[in-house]
Amino acid sequence: MSDHATDVGVDVAFSPEASFEIEAIKRAAYRFSDRVSVEITEGPTGLRCRLRPLQCKAPGNLNDIAQEFRNEALDQDLRLKISRETEGYRNLILSLAFSKTPLGQ
Amino acid sequence: MLNLRKSGVQVVYRTDAASPRIFRLTDDPQRPKPLRKSEGFISRNGVMPEGFAWYAMLNASPDTPIPEPSSAVFLPDTFNYLASGDIVRVDAERNNFDVLFQKLAQHHTFLLTERCNHFCLMCSQPPRNVQDGWIVDDILALIPLIERTTPEILFTGGEPTLLGARLVELVRHTKSYLPDTGLHILSNGRAFIDNAFAQTFAEVAHHDLMFGIPIYSDQPERHDYIVQADGAFDETVRGILNLKRNNLRVEIRIVIHKQSYERLAQLSQFIARNLTFVDQVVFMGLEMTGFTKANLDKLWIDPIDYQSQLVDAVNLLADSRIHTSVYNHQLCITDPAIWPYARKSISDWKNEYMSECIGCAVRDNCGGFFSSARFKYSSHIKPILEKALV
Amino acid sequence: MSKFQPLASYRAGQTDDYKLLPLRFSELDADRYLLSNFVGEIHVLDKAVAREFFRHRLPSTSAHYAELKSKHFLLDEDSNVAIDLLALKTRTRLERVSQFTGLHLFVVTLRCEHSCPYCQVSRQNDDKTNFDMSVENSERSLDLVFKSPSPHIKIEFQGGEPLLNFRLIRHIVEGAEARNKIEKRNLDFVIATNLAVISNEILDYCRDHSIHISTSLDGPRDLHNKNRPRPGGDSYERATSGIDKVRAALGRDQISAVMTTTNSSLDRVKDIIDEYVSLSFDSIFLRPLSPYGFAVKTKWYDSYDNEKWLKFYFEGIDYIIDLNRKGVQFKETYASTVLTKMLTPFQPGYVDLMSPAGIGIGALLYNYDGAVYASDESRMLAEMGDNRFRLGTVSDEYETLISSDALLDPLEASFAASAPMCSTCAFEPYCGADPVYHHATQGDYVGRKPLSGFCNRNMSIFKGLITRMESDAYTRRLFTRWANR
Repeated sequence: MSDHATDVGVDVAFSPEASFEIEAIKRAAYRFSDRVSVEITEGPTGLRCRLRPLQCKAPGNLNDIAQEFRNEALDQDLRLKISRETEGYRNLILSLAFSKTPLGQ
Repeated sequence: MLNLRKSGVQVVYRTDAASPRIFRLTDDPQRPKPLRKSEGFISRNGVMPEGFAWYAMLNASPDTPIPEPSSAVFLPDTFNYLASGDIVRVDAERNNFDVLFQKLAQHHTFLLTERCNHFCLMCSQPPRNVQDGWIVDDILALIPLIERTTPEILFTGGEPTLLGARLVELVRHTKSYLPDTGLHILSNGRAFIDNAFAQTFAEVAHHDLMFGIPIYSDQPERHDYIVQADGAFDETVRGILNLKRNNLRVEIRIVIHKQSYERLAQLSQFIARNLTFVDQVVFMGLEMTGFTKANLDKLWIDPIDYQSQLVDAVNLLADSRIHTSVYNHQLCITDPAIWPYARKSISDWKNEYMSECIGCAVRDNCGGFFSSARFKYSSHIKPILEKALV
Repeated sequence: MSKFQPLASYRAGQTDDYKLLPLRFSELDADRYLLSNFVGEIHVLDKAVAREFFRHRLPSTSAHYAELKSKHFLLDEDSNVAIDLLALKTRTRLERVSQFTGLHLFVVTLRCEHSCPYCQVSRQNDDKTNFDMSVENSERSLDLVFKSPSPHIKIEFQGGEPLLNFRLIRHIVEGAEARNKIEKRNLDFVIATNLAVISNEILDYCRDHSIHISTSLDGPRDLHNKNRPRPGGDSYERATSGIDKVRAALGRDQISAVMTTTNSSLDRVKDIIDEYVSLSFDSIFLRPLSPYGFAVKTKWYDSYDNEKWLKFYFEGIDYIIDLNRKGVQFKETYASTVLTKMLTPFQPGYVDLMSPAGIGIGALLYNYDGAVYASDESRMLAEMGDNRFRLGTVSDEYETLISSDALLDPLEASFAASAPMCSTCAFEPYCGADPVYHHATQGDYVGRKPLSGFCNRNMSIFKGLITRMESDAYTRRLFTRWANR
């Protein structure tokens, strides 16, 4: 963890009760990688993300970005769950699509 | 409305001569002799050229002597419309007379069976669970007598695919004897979930065969409800996939009524995305026959009240380049946007016009009504005046 | 009548539970999501309703339930034919990929008498004939063309200015037709030309062989001539008189026009569209500026701004919609391509919007020097000194070219379904992988999509088209017609 005295950034915390997957947060971080860098730490109080504006970019309103980031993480978490839930059907549909059996049997 | 059947007719029948039960009529007194042996002559005013298997005696005295070995059937003048090329059946045992094929009619429909595995709320031919295999025998006998220049014939029921291999036989028979005639078969399509069955039709290689298959909703349970059969939607769709897989032509038919009108556009959307390869789609008006009257409260909606749904549904299909038609709708209660798609579809022996139609300038383009419509029809029928057309 | 069952008896099960079918969602605007699935069906939902739906809390009486069921986003016990239909739609969407390379680009010469600053070709001056394709190379190229299994083959002649080497075009056309007597493909020819050197002899030939013409028209005279200088400064005059000649000789539908966007175009979209309308074209392709060739050298690209271009694009789209309302049948080609993917089960096969990427699979380019490239853009990159997408030469075996790492690596790496951000993006079915673009701008096949001009531009286009369809019934109908033409 780097805690510089002049470290500009904002924190976004995800409590353990919400059971966010770290993968979801990483994906959200990727999406914001043109605006902020995201440092993720995992601890007993849950996941904590520190958002720092990129050097080359104008800072923008960090609090707004943090709010958007939280919403994005929510969405990514939902996506992971949906993907897992529908994997069986996806495999079934694709194997049907690529099989030689006529559809409609 | 033409009278097509009569029971209690007087028949003079020569059993030893083995006169055909089903035969073609002519009113030509110069008919070549070899053809007379299997045909019937339409006798008016006592004219009876010799050598015919049958004489259809129109408005004749029942004492008229019939020369041996010919048979005769005595008919009232309601059958004055009979003409050359018409095909009739005489049941000498039960004294029944039926006109099976009328050459001058625009549409030729043959009922193959009254049995059905559906029970549609608006069924115009309520099913009966009877052994009616003899109907197929009659039609097999009738097909070779049909004028080969006939453009198209239609097989319906009940559910024709319940005949199984006999239906394939009928198709093959039609191909053999009517190589220039189109064949339209109405079916719920469910039997084609057996791909092998679909394949047997493809193997006949009929020159112009199309299956007309109804889908009434994009929602499976609603379709099942309308046809009163659980699981119908899934099997019908699967059947259509197999028919298309075998390169057979499919038309989707949609009857519009209170149970189906709300989601017409969504049904079009469903067809455009999932069944884009169908050959055409037709939207049909409700017929006031069969079960419709019993279910009127569930079915009746004035057509003028669903025009916006119909316009959207038709436009969506047309925009998706799927051939679309609208049948059985009068022009005055149809949105003009739909007129290019409206076809004159009612069989001419069935169609009629109401008193409200007097003075209408587009009568010739309008199919009019089924005569059964007299029971109930739109309250908004009114003539379209010449001026309004421009 | 008691013998008829009520609707309720055809609803299976008493519970309201349903299963989710594979789907994705992305933000459309602050309040709404766009839902899509891998066969491209779309549905717009308020975010709150969507979240309820994902959590299995959407009641079957909800207005959205029936739509989601019909579009195959959910499955319940009433029916399961959705699975068969989804499999069928998947096949339909992938069919074009299985047909393989249909577009074959022949660069018959690099010579050109224009000097367009944005040229992506790095053309040469008129008189250097060692920048022409040799007869031998053209024949080897034709061999390779017919090795492709595609039932549709389109041969497009490019340059430089291809008509400067018309003799070779004739040779290739006749060679292709001779081979096609046996091959029996659907064979089409296109010449992409600035029309400056068109002659009656060329026109007669094109008519006899049903060759389609594609020309450049950047807008009204002042804009076009400014963008496309040539000795005499009369590019516009030659283009328009050429268009007339082609229409008269070949038929009105045998010529199409493409425009290139420069900074000068950005606030003149209506003028440009008006020019196309007045010249009786029925479509326009509002293209972005690509980061290749002279465009980069002459710094056109640096000052180019996605935001400005998007404003230009949507001003154009809205203007075109308005023209249609007034009875002018006119469409925008890029939108039509996207809309085909959104509103129909089909894939339009436009090279830049395919995933797996269109390189090699959709198109192959045979350069004047005998080199074979995976696409037009691949060649442009090579002209800038980067040979990454050069597959080999016309002396190589077809199988070697098609299975070379130069092709397979970027295809695999860029496959959008696997790429970060793309793999969960609801717009992915309408988008494409563009490994050449990402390699050119970011240095790898996939690129970091948050930084990608390609991604940003496309997402804005998708959202803009969808919001317009959702809010206006006329636009919805118009877009459906565009999608199906």
